[in-house]
Amino acid sequence: MAQAGKGKLNFRCPSCFMRDLDIDMFYDKDKKEYYCIRCQYTGTEEDVLAKNEMARFRYRAIAKRITDFD
Amino acid sequence: MDAALTNYIKEKYPSVKCAVATCWEEGPKAYHTCNNSWYTFMDGGPWAPWIPSKVNTHAPAANEAEDSGIVAIPHLSRDLIACYDGNGSNFGTHPQNVLRGMIYDSKTWEFPYLYNLIDQYRALAKYNNGYAYNMMFVGPGWMNKMGRWEAPYELLVKSYEDGCAYYGQLKKEGKLVDMTMAEFADYYREKKTYTEPECALWKDILYGSEKQLFWYCDPFMRACVNMDQGGAIVDLRPYAAKLEWEIGIGTDHIQDASYPFLIQEKYRAGYFTHYAGEGTVRSAKITYKGEEVDLCQCRTKAHFSQEGKDRILTLDPVEIVFADLTLKLQSIITFTEGSSEIKIERHILEMSDPSAKVDINEYIVACYGTTEYTEDMSSVRLMLKGSEDKSLDYAYKCREDVLAGADCAQALVPPIKTLVTLKGEGPDKQGYYKEGYAFSPMFTLGYNGTLSDKEVFTTWLKLERAN
Repeated sequence: MAQAGKGKLNFRCPSCFMRDLDIDMFYDKDKKEYYCIRCQYTGTEEDVLAKNEMARFRYRAIAKRITDFD
Repeated sequence: MDAALTNYIKEKYPSVKCAVATCWEEGPKAYHTCNNSWYTFMDGGPWAPWIPSKVNTHAPAANEAEDSGIVAIPHLSRDLIACYDGNGSNFGTHPQNVLRGMIYDSKTWEFPYLYNLIDQYRALAKYNNGYAYNMMFVGPGWMNKMGRWEAPYELLVKSYEDGCAYYGQLKKEGKLVDMTMAEFADYYREKKTYTEPECALWKDILYGSEKQLFWYCDPFMRACVNMDQGGAIVDLRPYAAKLEWEIGIGTDHIQDASYPFLIQEKYRAGYFTHYAGEGTVRSAKITYKGEEVDLCQCRTKAHFSQEGKDRILTLDPVEIVFADLTLKLQSIITFTEGSSEIKIERHILEMSDPSAKVDINEYIVACYGTTEYTEDMSSVRLMLKGSEDKSLDYAYKCREDVLAGADCAQALVPPIKTLVTLKGEGPDKQGYYKEGYAFSPMFTLGYNGTLSDKEVFTTWLKLERAN
């Protein structure tokens, strides 16, 4: 197979993201998967997007508009 | 920009009056986020504009003689909880930081967090005599046609346009005055005095908790008080030392431009460790009939007030429950402008048994450094002063000593030219120091005492330069 490149967007590894690590993933065209070169994560675009939604679990106020700071 | 660079610029180009000098809390944690490839460490500085001293950029000038000649602004206004607890690069008033943190709805592309962050910075005016600062300092290169992070170009542009539009709306409503850097420098010098601190009682606006951190910064120290840990001091930088700290190729520090800490709960463990004892933290323990409670276990809320030169944090009382005694204790933390001291009062408001007596241990566990890795402690000297003087030179041997009625307990830390002094007043007071060992390379200064109902124990933590 040819060398891996980037996918259609610059997806970061969702597993590393949960550890506050920003690692760009590469895309394997033959296997149709993104993979991380720092950890063991592999996933389709669908799985990456789903894990990115999971990663937002920490942000319980993500949708809240806050105007009172007292 | 280190002090040497600023001094050079002022000499060559004296008309320069403002500079983006640092980026807030972009030290080892930012290095980690970037897969250990971002070689600039800038922890330990102010989060809002300041006048750097001629000796060290992070440390504000205490007077005209120390004035470097510029007003410094940090690159980006950052979330004072998220950037301290997290990686720093996702939580600033830079729209693409917010996207980098994935802090947006992936379907609607809405990101209220950006506006919450801007608005909390506006709200800091109540802690700083009506002055609040915010900035978005990014170039158009962030709006890459190929997208950036997981965000396509269209989202990058939207975030930038919406962010700027919000500032524009605030301006039209008279809630914001936009300035150039030079204009801001003039405004800042008009508005602030040298010793006037920067204060921020910051609340969590992202994680849905009720956590508060109070940040204090003046020419003598930067301190962080954590209300989730009973008002413990969890980050402490001794600006009083005005450390000479050259960076760059050929210097001792190369790319490490952080201002050293005495306390840093993330890098040096804080209250929770995987062994007996604490990492670096300033807190107190209450003991009764063999049961011990650390105030780090007591979540509370803070209320800010100013009385003359004093900035005061009054914490909500906490309930401490022992097997056969319950008590309410209130902490009041006072920062007096120009004193280089933090005063903490612990008031017993009520006891279920008014005749009971508890033991109090006011302590600071500290060390020094800029990263997670321990530094050589062997030049540190611990001292007790009072009816007699006692001291030990640190040798990692777990030694300790105590002095009844001590005037003070001190630690001399030569590598950062700092003298740490803890004084106490209260019933049955005795000062102590404790040496660490290789597996816990810290030192502890403290005061033991007793408290009964309606009594108060007071301590003062002072930071000074020691040549």
